[in-house]
Amino acid sequence: MKLIITDIEDFHIKVEGKYQLISPKGNIRPCVGCFGCWVKTPGKCMICDGYENTGIAMGSCTELILVSRCCYGSVSPFVKNVQDRAISYIHPDFVIRRGEMHHKRRYKNVILLSAHFYGEAITEDEKRTARNIAQANADNYDGKVKDVCFYHSPEELEGIIL
Amino acid sequence: MRIVLINGSPKVNGSASGILLEDFRKKVTEAGYPGKKNGEAAGEAAETDTEAETGRTVFSQTEIAETGLHTASVSGEAMKELDGADIWVFAYPLYVDGIPSQLLSCLVQLEKTPVSNRKKVIYGIVNCGFYEGIQAETALAVLENWCKKAGHSWGGGIGVGGGGALAMLPDMAPGRGPKAQIDKALTALAERCRAGTVMEKEARKNIYVSVAMPRTLYKMAGQLGWRQMIKKNGGKTKDLSKRWEQEAE
Repeated sequence: MKLIITDIEDFHIKVEGKYQLISPKGNIRPCVGCFGCWVKTPGKCMICDGYENTGIAMGSCTELILVSRCCYGSVSPFVKNVQDRAISYIHPDFVIRRGEMHHKRRYKNVILLSAHFYGEAITEDEKRTARNIAQANADNYDGKVKDVCFYHSPEELEGIIL
Repeated sequence: MRIVLINGSPKVNGSASGILLEDFRKKVTEAGYPGKKNGEAAGEAAETDTEAETGRTVFSQTEIAETGLHTASVSGEAMKELDGADIWVFAYPLYVDGIPSQLLSCLVQLEKTPVSNRKKVIYGIVNCGFYEGIQAETALAVLENWCKKAGHSWGGGIGVGGGGALAMLPDMAPGRGPKAQIDKALTALAERCRAGTVMEKEARKNIYVSVAMPRTLYKMAGQLGWRQMIKKNGGKTKDLSKRWEQEAE
């Protein structure tokens, strides 16, 4: 199953195979750093607003696809909010991977991460940061980066197949 | 010169960002500047015009103010503090290799909001739960990229590793104990602020530090903490590893 997290409300991009879409629907509340998803309801965010199960969805996906406006090399606030609320995908305990501290994996699946960024004037610095963040995300999810692509507009994305 | 310390943690109280900002405020104050905290009247003091040793000009009047960007929009009160300052010092936690979403949302808003002096000097202090401060590099890069888009000047930043321990560390003499390296980095950043101007590229490089304790000890202490917390919440250690099956749609 592919898990797509996007800030595009009216999502018309073709997807090959089975997928789940997380897009803006109603208000999303930000992560407050309570760690309840690790020590109160392990594996699940405690804020019940319709976005509490992303960590669980990540645990059963083969590919995580981020489709987002590029904000200074980061995903947009909405996509970041969904990601921030899904740290329950990983375990609170630490491991050392390639000389750096990361979190232990909770699930067995190895996520293949793709990021599709759109924006009118994405700078080279922002592209470099976006690629570095995708790699850092993959390291922290103990997964792999598949693609990091850039587009001028969300409409341009409608020509691709995810 | 007016410096505003911006707490970018989603936590209003008890955040590691708040601890680092308070330490930073002391460093700037130790350098001879008065401070203003939580809405108190800002202090002002006369300062020498030139430092004899370095020859750098020091602003004669300096104020330090504080504000928080704990939610997804910038309040009118926070905007007023930001607008009136020359230097913005952001402190925030590393969230998923970047900036917490509520602060990112505020940055988008700030990029589009006209401010009276567009050439603010921006500094960043990022704390991460991982041991290595270098893991904050991406979160500082996002702030630096924002700085360029918004038309401000980047002054540099600090990545602090081992942020999870900050609240537990005892107060010690500056430059001593587990916070020694962090102290040193905050002092260096305070010095940059003190210079009152944007330094050359080499001088405004980011600084990455960690709490001065063995990584193994930090890891063990963290993991013991998770076990204590889940037991306090009525759970068992094995619950930390709970796996959920996704419900069929």
